Amino acid sequence: MTALRQDAGLPGLLSLLGHDAVADDGPVVTVAVAATDTEAAVRRLAAAPGARLADLFASGGNPAIDGDPVVLRMVWGLDSDRRYLVTESVIEGERYPALSDIVPAAFTEECEIYEQFGIRPAGDKPLNRVALPPQADPGFPRLGRPPAEQPADVHAAHFVGGQAFEFPFGPVRGVGVESLYYGLVTSGEELVDLYLFTWHKHRGVEWRLRGRTPREALFQVERTEGLGAVGVGWAFAAATEAAAGVEPPARAMRTRAIALELERLYNHAAATAALCQSTGLAVGQAAAEIALERLLRLNAAAFGHRYLFGVVDIGGARCGPDAAALRRELPGAYGELRRAADALLGTNSFLDRLEATGILTQEAAQRLGMVGPVARATGLRVDARADHPAAPYAEHPPAVATGQGGDVLARFRVMQAEAAESVRLIGDLLEAGAGPGCADLPEGTISRTGPPGSPDRSGLGWAESSRGEALAWVSLDEGGRIARARLRPASVRNWRGFDDACRSQNVFTDVPIIEASFWLTVAGMSR
Amino acid sequence: MPLWFVRGLRRGVVTTRYPARPDSSAAALPTPPAFRPQALTRELADRLCLVCPSRALTRSGDVLVFDAGACTACGRCQEAAPEAVTPSGEFELAATDRGHLVKRIPLLGEGDS
Repeated sequence: MTALRQDAGLPGLLSLLGHDAVADDGPVVTVAVAATDTEAAVRRLAAAPGARLADLFASGGNPAIDGDPVVLRMVWGLDSDRRYLVTESVIEGERYPALSDIVPAAFTEECEIYEQFGIRPAGDKPLNRVALPPQADPGFPRLGRPPAEQPADVHAAHFVGGQAFEFPFGPVRGVGVESLYYGLVTSGEELVDLYLFTWHKHRGVEWRLRGRTPREALFQVERTEGLGAVGVGWAFAAATEAAAGVEPPARAMRTRAIALELERLYNHAAATAALCQSTGLAVGQAAAEIALERLLRLNAAAFGHRYLFGVVDIGGARCGPDAAALRRELPGAYGELRRAADALLGTNSFLDRLEATGILTQEAAQRLGMVGPVARATGLRVDARADHPAAPYAEHPPAVATGQGGDVLARFRVMQAEAAESVRLIGDLLEAGAGPGCADLPEGTISRTGPPGSPDRSGLGWAESSRGEALAWVSLDEGGRIARARLRPASVRNWRGFDDACRSQNVFTDVPIIEASFWLTVAGMSR
Repeated sequence: MPLWFVRGLRRGVVTTRYPARPDSSAAALPTPPAFRPQALTRELADRLCLVCPSRALTRSGDVLVFDAGACTACGRCQEAAPEAVTPSGEFELAATDRGHLVKRIPLLGEGDS
């Protein structure tokens, strides 16, 4: 990312937003922005080099409270400044400025907010159905008030004419594959257009978290996106810890990081296997799946769960790693993956399918706010471990792998480089000492980041999951229970770039290859 | 491509010999709970029913009804009452009749009931 100019650093940005002083000089700065100034503030932030919109979400709008306003929050990543900026705007009416007209990365969230809170951006822009199913009537569980009209079913207006036809595929697609509906517009070979229905897996996780204690909620948070249990769980735990003002012990943070790197390893191995499957390379798939199975068994041996559930705790880590098992088994398990990847990189028929397939340009990745290996494969150096280094990554910084070209091959190379780096990090973290441990959650802490005059206790948390930056924002009520929890797994960000990548002069059979290289989850998207 | 064929042959069979031989990693798997009837009271049974996220536990009078078919082996009941619940170590749950997965555990603990 381009470095922030001197005048565009945090003080400069706050000055542009009409704030002179920073109330909290930590890694997260929260400012209130009047609803009337929201559009101007977004224009200024969008124009500031190095500032990217990381999330947009709403809270409030309780239908049981007459006139309860919706609070719109934007999370901006000021990556080279190593901070997050959270803006809060109280929206009194049913409309707010069309932020996606200024920052296209906001569109998916505008649709989500409409579904959940009934307020929409100004103008007549059609909004898509993102998470709530079509049968969601006004009585369907929502975070706020129901929208006046149902959102549209299609993602974008698309043209079906001439020789092109629409090929419906899904939501049931195959054994062990998540429910996802593809609307593929094709002329028989070339992919003309594509849209997705992602709402089949909606479980109302954020709705279910309200009123629970953070520890009760963590159980469901980890299951929001099973393949990202550590990443999403860590982001949620960190948000809760920020809201409650507690700091986990260093050993527990290293434990979390070891689990997170193991999660990255097995996900990259699974993506490698999926790439082989989608290119018809059965022996390569078997080789990658041997590595995957060994890594999953290593997870079970080290932490007691193949998918690393139950490692993260609010305030620390529930269990420590079996260091001996990790030192004994990790080199062999990773060696399986390394050998498979090296052999694949020497197989021309495999590389031919990956090269120039599913291209996402750096401009598109930046415009859409992409994160993780998908963004890094375009050359963007976006990695929360390096840009927002919470413990233990401040002491153990990762070498961030980037690629060029933004195609499937670049994503594959980035994943393999990251796997090697994860193994190195795990060794360093074990050397530094890791174990269980939890800080106590105090009662009655005062918010450091809540809006002025509000009794809210809120906090922002993040982690660099295998798919990219996972964010969570938590507001606790006076009893320490969850008033609102926003979960933003990396999948929420990266699905929006998937159709762009598929449309970049690809043929029908490239779609599974591109999907494997993105390695996203529908569960994380629709929550 | 022929190289991959040779690679596959050279790697050989790596699948485990289960069920002819036990799987070496089975001990590390989370398994459904086993209950100690002597440690179970009505109050404790109600508490366990509340913590079960998949509603695999219900109480019917002085009996705790455990549906192993609904259990996800999440371990929450074991965490809530380690004195009364332990991992069963049993993961071979296949049954020819759905009803065989439902177990009725008498509440034999000494409580207020």
